[in-house]
Amino acid sequence: MWKIALQRVAMLILMMLCVSLLAFLVPMASGSDPARTILLSHGSDLALDPAQVEALRRELGLDQPLPMQFMIWLGNAVQGDFGNSFASRQPVIHEIGSALIVSATLALSALAIAVAVALPMGTLAAMRPGGRVDGGVTLLVQTFVAIPEYWLAPILILIFALHLGALPSSGWFGPTSVILPALALSIRPMAYFTQVTRAAMIDVLNAPYITAARARGLSMPQTVLRHGLRNGSIPVVTFFSLWFASLLGGSVVIEVIFAIPGMGRLFYEAVINKDIPLLQGGFVAIVALAITINTLADILYVVINPSLRGANGR
Amino acid sequence: MAADITLSRQATTTEPATPPGHGPLRRFLGTRHWTFAAGSVIFGTILAVLILGPAIWSLDPAKQDIIQRLKPPSGQYWLGTDNLGRDVFARLVEGGRFTVTIAALSVLISVVIGVSIGILAGRLGGWFEEISMRIVDLLIAIPDTVIAIFLVAIFGPGHVTLIVALTIVGWTPYARLSRGLALQVNAMDYIRAAEVLGMTRRFILIRHFLPNLIRPISAVTFLRFGHKLITVGGLSYLGLGVQPPAPDWGLMLAAAQPYLDRAPMLMIAPGLAIFITALSVTWIGHGLEIDRTKPKD
Repeated sequence: MWKIALQRVAMLILMMLCVSLLAFLVPMASGSDPARTILLSHGSDLALDPAQVEALRRELGLDQPLPMQFMIWLGNAVQGDFGNSFASRQPVIHEIGSALIVSATLALSALAIAVAVALPMGTLAAMRPGGRVDGGVTLLVQTFVAIPEYWLAPILILIFALHLGALPSSGWFGPTSVILPALALSIRPMAYFTQVTRAAMIDVLNAPYITAARARGLSMPQTVLRHGLRNGSIPVVTFFSLWFASLLGGSVVIEVIFAIPGMGRLFYEAVINKDIPLLQGGFVAIVALAITINTLADILYVVINPSLRGANGR
Repeated sequence: MAADITLSRQATTTEPATPPGHGPLRRFLGTRHWTFAAGSVIFGTILAVLILGPAIWSLDPAKQDIIQRLKPPSGQYWLGTDNLGRDVFARLVEGGRFTVTIAALSVLISVVIGVSIGILAGRLGGWFEEISMRIVDLLIAIPDTVIAIFLVAIFGPGHVTLIVALTIVGWTPYARLSRGLALQVNAMDYIRAAEVLGMTRRFILIRHFLPNLIRPISAVTFLRFGHKLITVGGLSYLGLGVQPPAPDWGLMLAAAQPYLDRAPMLMIAPGLAIFITALSVTWIGHGLEIDRTKPKD
């Protein structure tokens, strides 16, 4: 087991190196000169003093050969220093930190809603596979998968904010402002969680210990609650962590629609403003989080499931 | 991302054998789940409207009539008009041509790349399999909008960038699935038999591998197509895809945002178009999948 964990961690470090190299190369690929961009972003006039540009280049280490530059950049990045954002002039790492807290709150709320609906729905469907309830749940899952979240969001705003006036239409200030974006965001994970729960529960409900529990005289609902759900929700736990990782940076559209200062919007604005340090830092942070959580989920899965130990992971 | 895991899990439990004694047309239409027929009819109708529509109705999606702006649906303007007095229905048809074409192209290219890499990985094994599957792991872990936005940041917005970006994030599920299927088929006795009989590699690939892959891959292709449509719309919504004034379903949704209260149809129409198209292809995929997971009679 330790061997698998070590392999995974080594792989993770190698992947992060590749991703960092990619992020480092962005400014070269987009063909802009960082020294110029920085000076322009500081509001100096369009006619830049070539001597000034040259001085800043030296200061930024841009006169060094490329591999050397990468080592310097990587050294700083490992210590959490991605430089200052062009737009806000704050250290990138601080901006990422506060945005991550916002996105994590949003992602956890959305996933909580998703699980709260998906567990009962998937279980109900699994009680009688191929039955009417199962068919209805399957249709609902297909509908949820096909709804664009950036369409659901304005519909929710139209109903709950504009017509009923019950909830705020955008912004990030306390619990009421979380509800609509979390709802819009929960729809897709809800669909997948339901599918996963259904599949897992069908397996579980066919297991001998369920028959044994029924034979001891437990009613079907009691059996499902005590024995079924506990085992059937294991795969959902794994999926939960994977979705959490993907929503941390991936809820760009929802964060833009609702004007939420999270990771997705930060990254989007970095692209729009051509804010290179923020773009690099944001990309590395999102990817690092996503693959770290994935690796942890992989290792955790083996820890929970002793039967997988000794097998070669996937 | 998470979807891929479910899909590939289901796929590994299937039997790739096809029943003998049925004509191909009968097999195609008769033996499937109702969602397949329903999805095919809806998707076919949408395609017909998108392809033939402009020729039949001769509506001009770019014609502005500022006096008629933000009108509700009527006999003249089936879905009303937008903030510049342009016909929403005409723009919907014009925009759908962009959205659906971009999604379809990126899915098709993804399938070709993914399946080739997957079969090679499954057949060759060794370092090629190891490296390609690690890349798949990495790409599947990263949210695909983030990669797409990152690429758009480098190469600039536009439909070519959009297709390239979506392909880079899109080929991985097909690679993982077809590698799994290739490993399964590879273990079959008829492959040993063919090898012993001295069949060429190309013959084995065409005669034995591809027929077994076509159905599961096409099911996943349709299921992913719906997801891709939504992603294309989302990126256009953010202004990173098709550039205005070209209409695109995502762009139309974004432009409708300020008029949410005065003209809700402006927002409802393009979203509904994405939803129905995505649902119809999901149904096609589901029908294909159900059919092959069903025990053969």
